Amino acid sequence: MAWLVVRLAISVSLFYTASAVFEDQVGKFDWRQQFIGKVRFALFDTHSQASKKLLVATDKNVFASLNSRTGDLFWRHVDKTGPEGHIDALLMYGQDAVVVAGNGRLLRSWETTVGGLKWETVLDTGSFQAAALVGVQDFVKYVAVLKKSAISLHDLSSGSQIWVENLPDSDTVQYQTIYSGGNGLVFVFGVVPNSHIVIVEYKIEDGEIMNKKSVEAAWMSSLESSCTVISSGILLCVDQITQSLYTLLLQSAEQTEMRQIHLQTLDLEVASGFQPVLTSTQPNPAQPPLSEFFLQLSPDHHILLQLKDGLIVPLRDFNPSYLAAFATSGERTVAAVMSPKNDTACSINLFSADTGRRHLDTTIIYHMDPNGGKPNRLYVHAFLKKDDSVGYRVMVQTEDLTLTFLQQPGRVVWMREEALADVVTMEMIDLPFTGTQAELEGEFGKKADGLLPMVLKRLSSQFILLQAWLAHLWKLFYDARKPRSSVKNEVNIDTLSRDEFNLQKMMVMVTASGKLFGIDSKSGTILWKQYLENIEPNSVFKLIVQRTTAHFPHPPQCTLLIKNKDTGLGNLYVFNPIFGKKSQISVPALPRPVLQTLLLPVIDQDYAKVLLLIDDQYKVTTFPSTKNILQQLQDTASSIFFYLVDSSQGKLSGFRLRKDLSTELIWEVVIPTEVQKIVAVKGKRANEHVHSQGRVMGDRSVLYKYLNPNLLAVITESTDTHHERSFVGIFLIDGVTGRIVHEAVQRKAKGPVHFVHSENWVVYVYWNSKFRRNEFSVLELFEGAELYNSTVFSSLDRPHPPQVLQQSYIFPAPISTLEATLTEKGITSRHLLVGLPSGNILSLPKMFLDPRRPEVVSEQSREENLIPYAPEMPIRDEWFINYNQTVSRVRGIHTAPSGLESTCLVVAYGLDIYQTRVFPSKQFDVLKDDYDYVLISSVLFGLFFATMISKRLAEVKLLNRAWR
Amino acid sequence: MRQMKRLLDVYVALQALFALSWCFTDADPGPAVGSQSNGERFKIEGRAIVPGVKTQDWVSTARILVEGEEYVGFVKTDGSFAVNDVPSGSYVVEIVSPSFRFDPVRVDITSKGKMRARLVNYIKTSEVLRQPYPLQIRSSGPHTYFMKRETWGWTDFLMNPMVMMMVLPLLIIVLLPKVVNTNDPEMRKEMEQSMNMLNPNPELPDVSEFMTKLFSKGSSKAGGGNKGSRSVALKRR
Repeated sequence: MAWLVVRLAISVSLFYTASAVFEDQVGKFDWRQQFIGKVRFALFDTHSQASKKLLVATDKNVFASLNSRTGDLFWRHVDKTGPEGHIDALLMYGQDAVVVAGNGRLLRSWETTVGGLKWETVLDTGSFQAAALVGVQDFVKYVAVLKKSAISLHDLSSGSQIWVENLPDSDTVQYQTIYSGGNGLVFVFGVVPNSHIVIVEYKIEDGEIMNKKSVEAAWMSSLESSCTVISSGILLCVDQITQSLYTLLLQSAEQTEMRQIHLQTLDLEVASGFQPVLTSTQPNPAQPPLSEFFLQLSPDHHILLQLKDGLIVPLRDFNPSYLAAFATSGERTVAAVMSPKNDTACSINLFSADTGRRHLDTTIIYHMDPNGGKPNRLYVHAFLKKDDSVGYRVMVQTEDLTLTFLQQPGRVVWMREEALADVVTMEMIDLPFTGTQAELEGEFGKKADGLLPMVLKRLSSQFILLQAWLAHLWKLFYDARKPRSSVKNEVNIDTLSRDEFNLQKMMVMVTASGKLFGIDSKSGTILWKQYLENIEPNSVFKLIVQRTTAHFPHPPQCTLLIKNKDTGLGNLYVFNPIFGKKSQISVPALPRPVLQTLLLPVIDQDYAKVLLLIDDQYKVTTFPSTKNILQQLQDTASSIFFYLVDSSQGKLSGFRLRKDLSTELIWEVVIPTEVQKIVAVKGKRANEHVHSQGRVMGDRSVLYKYLNPNLLAVITESTDTHHERSFVGIFLIDGVTGRIVHEAVQRKAKGPVHFVHSENWVVYVYWNSKFRRNEFSVLELFEGAELYNSTVFSSLDRPHPPQVLQQSYIFPAPISTLEATLTEKGITSRHLLVGLPSGNILSLPKMFLDPRRPEVVSEQSREENLIPYAPEMPIRDEWFINYNQTVSRVRGIHTAPSGLESTCLVVAYGLDIYQTRVFPSKQFDVLKDDYDYVLISSVLFGLFFATMISKRLAEVKLLNRAWR
Repeated sequence: MRQMKRLLDVYVALQALFALSWCFTDADPGPAVGSQSNGERFKIEGRAIVPGVKTQDWVSTARILVEGEEYVGFVKTDGSFAVNDVPSGSYVVEIVSPSFRFDPVRVDITSKGKMRARLVNYIKTSEVLRQPYPLQIRSSGPHTYFMKRETWGWTDFLMNPMVMMMVLPLLIIVLLPKVVNTNDPEMRKEMEQSMNMLNPNPELPDVSEFMTKLFSKGSSKAGGGNKGSRSVALKRR
């Protein structure tokens, strides 16, 4: 019965706190963008002319089908991260796509129209080398997979293994490539570096070795990219040092050494230090490849060659040319070559592969983005037009992972910014006011210059406001008359302005590839992008907002700490987050690696906050470093503290700034690395507001919160990973004094630990290895019934340790990431946003994570609105704020307050990006979406008329009575 | 209230049944998760079923997650699936799909490769309620992501017990004196007579008292209705 009461209480409380989405709100203020990552393999479906499918496999272990007309995803399959999901090869034949994944561990065949798996086979272990489709008599039936020491052949329709053979001498020979020309044989090529090439011939039917030969090739170190098979079974290799091409007839017993052709005889030369690349094409896997091939001699020089009667003939020299690719449609094979046109554009032309003649009217102009990178991959989709000429479309991938799909004569059909598949960090910046608003603001900033001018100015600005309002009304009226579909709010960087509730912001996203994006949070439109070259990819970036938009006419300013690719040192990149322009401010040089950055509340005369950078010799660099700043820093130096974490030595140390900007070690906490290692350290967010100092208890007394702004939460994990002995530790350390405020250990627990540190609480999630489940634990700190010093908090003067309450709960799902909502003033109740591996984002009321949840319900706890304790946390479908718009591999959730207290802006990023708003306490400060204007006005009018009528009736009655 | 009690009875009975079944099944804990597997890898197999929906409509968005994203599998075009390369241990296998809900299942794999599936119970982790293996996971329907809007209609308004409670007495108060002309002394006499006819007891209170009695009765009834309405309102929220 008690259990039932608890259940009932919980369900009742749920109805109060649920923050769910209504069906009519779908897409109203939220959007999702799906990404795939850097394309490694891309194949166009040439099976039928009308097919729009483009199959891609990426470095993010994603295999997807794109609509080549729009760039949208038909379907997408996200495999496991890391080497186990790594896609090694993608082959396509007809409706089926064969994928080798996990270093040759899995062979999968996908039905490409539906997006479902057709079959899946587990292969033997061994590092993957190559895979190829194998055809017999013009019909592709098998797929061959080459491993380091074995080769196997599989049936294409069922995946069943036909045969598997060990490769001879696999401990000395490095087998690297595979070739089949449809003549019943499979060739495997291996190399013994700087010695010889080994060629093994297998019979397709039973895997019998038909022939095995080794050919002298002392110059060769690797087969890949320097060798290819052309024509009817001729191995072609290129070598940079001897400046020669080598050919070898595969099926001839006589030829025992490779024939050398000096490049000089063809008037060619390989650029020094460049590894030449050979590209050939085999349009049909059941037939031998063409005898034409590309030879790349330098980064911007390709040449189309042909092997004819044992002679190599140059067909066409493309100098300069960036990229070249073959494509086949029907029986016709063409070559597309991209060459530079001018500084900002490239032209792509089509040439017939067998003659090298240019096709007329096939130029596509590709405009390079001045803020982007160079193109580095070209994928060509050729098709036959009605008049039997060859048409084509191209997909260009650039260094900054932009995919551009072009068609003649240079129209961009679609564009994808795949760098956004790997967002590292982000910030949300307020948009600036409109021109008129800014002018009004500017009026207050200026010094007074007499009474009359000020009055006049006031009046004129009021007039401007009136004008703007009238224009706005006129626009509203004008738009209302037009059909709804034609009214499209074109988001433009020039028309951007803050809305009345500051709900629309600029999302500044930093990606792992070093590309920065400015995205409008309302629509998801990319407003600016900037590719930073010379950045070490996948390094740590730190984005700091130094000046917000609040200081007109000073532009907002963001600073990004980046790592230079060449020097490996830190570097500051200062930019305007609204327009993405690089700022002209001179930045200090950072000669040593930066350990810690610190944004101080000290403001210089231009309203930019001061950034302190601490290098590995504990020297401090300030940015900006004007005299004014240095003066201010000297005054406040004694109250500036910072901490450094050295997880390799398990050391946490606190420093103080001296007046001469040197530093002084004041405390040190050593967590022995033999037992446990520091995993993460988090302070509180600087822009967080706490509205109430305490909590009112059931008996009307107040329990004051311990609101220490200097508190650090330190998470440690045991070095012993045995499930009986592993543990997770949490330390709450005061960042100024180094005092350990609290310490807790979860035994039989292990990471990964996700945690949120806010207000007076820390919530962390760990894996309970004994019971094999995820558990939430919440720590709340209270000062007690009395506040020691209610006006100001000082870490140096807090004699009483806080009371710590803790409670743990079972969370019935795995967790990817954790974040808490944030609002303007902190009045709204908090929710935790939990990113789940399923892609959903759960909005969990903090109310459920309250260590004061009672086990036995009492009158007082009911008064306080505490939910009775239940070990298992509920998960309800309604709490998923992103409904079916799942975010794959969610890695981070960014929350930002809006101008409305009830509303928190949420951006979840991972492989996808999802932006929405949440209302943890519902929309208490604005009218609800479904506010019934009709009802309220009809009731009002009804009452009004009722009073009028009754008044009239009463008058008549009075009159009648008077007459009586 | 009686219905409530009956519900409770059912619940208690269910619980008893549950306890009984728990007694019968051997409560052996699954194999320890951390047991060092000797490198041998196994395969978790099963089939996902969404009743009434063609498989090609949902397989492209579904994934099989084993213990979070530790092991990932994909659904074949016929709804069956296999997750390869899973070492021995105990895992929660979940089918995630943005449109359909599937209940997770715990799969135990011994070091010899014996498999069994059971219901996920995070509180009593060693409890074994067997599920079929190879897994047969049937969708329990589409996700209900959205809350229902509180709609407003005249019938809702009129049928509200509060409104009924207000309107009916109003009718009685306003209409009754109109229908029966109390000013007419003859009528009054007649009425009193009829009253006496109805109640042979001469000490019975007069009409007004009768009315209050009626009202109090009505309000107590309405009070019950009121409670119901509040709970309805709560549910709507």
